[in-house]
Order: sequence, then C-alpha cells, then structure tokens
Amino acid sequence: MIELYHIWKQYQKAQWALSDITFRVDKGDFCFITGPSGSGKTTLLKILYRQIFPTEGQIVIDNRNILKISDHKIYQLRRHMGIVFQDFRLVFHKKVFENVAVVLQVLGIPRKEIRRRVFNALRMVNLHNKMWEYPAHLSYGEQQRVAIARAVVNSPKIILADEPTGNLDTELAFEIMSLFKDINTKGATVLICTHDRELIRNFGQKILFLYKGKLLRKESL
Amino acid sequence: MRNFFSITIICLTFLTVGVFLALANNLEHVAEQISNNMAAVFFLDTDISEEQLNAIEEELKRSQLVLETTFVSAEQAVDKFREKFPELQGIIENIKINPFPPSIETTFKEKTITFREASGLITQIKNMPGVEDVQFNQEWVDRVNSFSRLAKAVGFFLGGILVLASFFIISNVIKLNVLARKDEIEILRLVGATNTFIRVPFLLEGITLGVIGGLVSLFLLLLLINSIPIYLGSRPGVLNELINFRYLTLSQSITIIAEGGIIGFLGSLTPLARFLKT
Ligand SMILES: Nc1ncnc2c1ncn2[C@@H]1O[C@H](COP(=O)(O)OP(=O)(O)OP(=O)(O)O)[C@@H](O)[C@H]1O
Ligand SMILES: [Mg+2]
Repeated sequence: MIELYHIWKQYQKAQWALSDITFRVDKGDFCFITGPSGSGKTTLLKILYRQIFPTEGQIVIDNRNILKISDHKIYQLRRHMGIVFQDFRLVFHKKVFENVAVVLQVLGIPRKEIRRRVFNALRMVNLHNKMWEYPAHLSYGEQQRVAIARAVVNSPKIILADEPTGNLDTELAFEIMSLFKDINTKGATVLICTHDRELIRNFGQKILFLYKGKLLRKESL
Repeated sequence: MRNFFSITIICLTFLTVGVFLALANNLEHVAEQISNNMAAVFFLDTDISEEQLNAIEEELKRSQLVLETTFVSAEQAVDKFREKFPELQGIIENIKINPFPPSIETTFKEKTITFREASGLITQIKNMPGVEDVQFNQEWVDRVNSFSRLAKAVGFFLGGILVLASFFIISNVIKLNVLARKDEIEILRLVGATNTFIRVPFLLEGITLGVIGGLVSLFLLLLLINSIPIYLGSRPGVLNELINFRYLTLSQSITIIAEGGIIGFLGSLTPLARFLKT
C-alpha cells in the first residue's frame, strides 16, 4: 500500500531531517510512528501526501510512484487520503460545517448528501452541536476534532494523522483512536504520529521509532 | 475598495476607447451623408464657346462614372441664388455685372465612389479649354473619412495602453485576494481539489470586475453623448443635424463588454499559478 525506499530529506545543508528511511505499510495496517520532537515524523508525513519532496528516494502508494505525479494531478492521490495536520489547518473565517464539507464539495457531491455525511462525521467526534460555530470559538481540543472529522468524512483509503490526540484528554483520545480503529477495520490503512505511549500500547500493531531522522526500530506487536 | 479601484480603471479604459469609437462613428456618418449626394461642379469661363461647351458635355457623358450632367448658365445661377437666399437679393441688384460663372453640375452614379477614382476624370475635364475651376465634394468625404480612421486609431492606441493597465490592475487585485486566501487555497489542494475548482471563483471575480467596468463605461459614455447637444445649444443647426450624436453600435458595445470580461479572465489567470504547486 505505502512503500518507502531509501528516503532522505534535507532542509538545510548538512542537516538530515530524514536519513535512509525504508519501510512498508500494508493495506489495512494500523501503524504508529513515534519518536522525540524533531525526529522527523511530520516531515515523513508531508512527504507521503507530497506537500514536500524527499531529497533522495522513492515512494510508491497504491502501486503509483507519487513523486512522478504532476502538480495538477496530485489531487488524485489526495482524494484517497484523510489527513489530520499537526497544526489542524482550519479555515477560520468559515464555520465548522464548511471546514468539514469542503472535502466533499471538491468532489461535487450533492448538497443534501454533504449535510448528512458532515453531520455524521461531526457526531463521531462528538462535535455535532458546534456545527455552526467558527473554529476560533472552539477550544484547541475541539479544533483538533474538527480536523479529525474532516479527515474521515469521505471514508478515505488512507488516513495520515499527525498527533491527532495531542490536545485531548485520555478519555477522548481513546475515543478518537477507537474511531480510527473502526475505520481501519472497514479497510482503511491508518498511519498515526504520536508521542503517547499509552495509546501505542493499547492500539499499536506496527510501530516505527524515529530518532534524529533515522528509523531505529520496526516493531510488530 | 480594491474592487472599486479596478472597476474605475477598467471604466476609464473603455470610456476612452468608447469616446473615440463614437467620434469615429459620427465622422463616418457625416462622410456617408455627404457622399449620398456626390457631385462635382465645373465652373466655366464666362465667354466659353459653344464648341468648347459641347466638347466638355460630350466628354462627361462618355464617362462610366457620370449619372447626369446639367448645364447651368450664368442667368440661371443668379435665379437659383435668388430663390435660395431671397433676403440677399439686394446685393445682387446692386452689383451690375453677374458674379456667377456658368457651370456644369455633374452627379455620379456610384455613391461609394472614391476621390481617387473620380479624380482622373475631373483633372481631365479641368484641363479642357473653357473650364475655370472645379469643386468636388468627394474630397470632403475622403477627408472626413480619414479623420474618422484617425480617431479610431487614436482610440485603439490609447485603448491598448489602458487595456494593459487594466490587465495589471485586475491582476493585482486578484493577486491580493489570492494572497489573503492562500491558506485556504493550500487546504483546498490538500483535500483534493482540482486546480480548476480552485481557479473558478477567482476567474469569475476577475470576469465580473471586467464586465462591470465595461458596463459602467458604456453607461457613462451614453450620458456623455447625450449631454453634448446641451452644450452646443439645442438649436436645430446644420452641425446638429449633420452630427446628430450617435452612440456605439450594438456590436461595438457587446465587444467592449466582452473585452472587459476577457481582460478580467486573463488578469486573474496568472496570480494563482504559483499557489497551485505543492
Ligand atoms: N520547513 C523546514 N525548514 C527547515 N527545517 C525544517 C523544516 N521543517 C522541519 N525542519 C526540521 O526538520 C526536523 C524534523 O522536523 P519535524 O517537524 O519532522 O519533526 P517532528 O518529529 O514532527 O517533531 P514534533 O514531534 O515536534 O512535531 C527538525 O529538526 C526541524 O527543525
Ligand atoms: Mg511534528
């Protein structure tokens, strides 16, 4: 499903944010990436959804070399991905509903269907009562859940989540993980970056440890 | 505010083009009216001989261009003058000698005949013995026509410069709008929007600005043209009748609006491009 071959990434000279990363995530995997701050987790995810290019290496997703996809066709890749960004990336002058609905709007889905699906997604993260609020009026944890609802609203084949529970209490974090697990059992491949050992212990199948840009261990539980 | 600014510039652009186009239209109309009664008048020597007169008339009748020739004797010329300007009769009475030479009035067949076509015949006649002078109104038609062409050229030249200006203005307005929404554009791309999907709202905005600019300028031009006769005074003078200020033709108006749209479209195409990478 997702295959990385000898990925190197350099932002500045003589500083490798990623060095020689090679691993594979199979279809239907529930996989964690963990490691200290600055170890390159976000960089790795950004490369997977092609926000940035690696300095060296190749990536194959769904049998496609994603580095060969041109800028104006990259939407074909991203439509199969639900992404939770570490910094949420919500549009602050748009309501919660619109922030989630945009994923479906770009697909040209009818309005009524959009309403139904957005409501369901927001209910899954327990935010359906804040549907018509602006993100700025929500707490950090609530904003994070809006970002999660946006990532899952289209039932994507791949979920990439960067610290999706970083601002949530343990209970809510477990709820969100259960949500991802649900989607995973329905066939989606899930890749989550987190520091939270508790979550990893409870949910992890496959764990990747990053340290200073190097892949230290691959573990399957 | 930004939008207001760009609409103003587009307006100015098309107003300039419009003014010159309207001017050209009016001049063309004047030329047309003159050429509707295309005629040349050959003034003859007062003591022209019968033979010379016959020779001239013969030559004119042989020509393909001429529809009709009429000889007007000196006496007939005076009568005509009296008829036309009865209040000036006294002057004629006071002058003992007849100031009008005899003449031959010629009307041409083709309304669209040009000065160049007729001038061969006219110079030929003019050089014949007994012909004093010639007056040919096609000269005026050609002159007016060339003024009209000049007006058009100036209009298009100024218009061209201003079109560039409004292109850059629209482009910059859209660029500011794009910059203000660049996070949103990035998110749209990350959730799988096609570039077309992202582009359309900005293109529509550009086109709307252009079309509004075009419409407003046409409206201002209408006001301007309608107010000209007020300044000239509403006397039914020759000038008014001749000029009878005309507006742009329908196709010209449509062209201006369409061009507004096109400028808007092109202007909003470029600013987005660099945000449609990554
Ligand atoms: N745009 C950038 N320009 C320069 N250096 C960068 C850039 N983005 C990341 N880095 C560097 O790359 C390294 C890895 O950063 P990254 O954001 O991937 O870490 P992370 O594992 O996600 O950390 P955290 O757990 O704090 O989110 C860091 O040393 C960071 O300073
Ligand atoms: Mg990170």
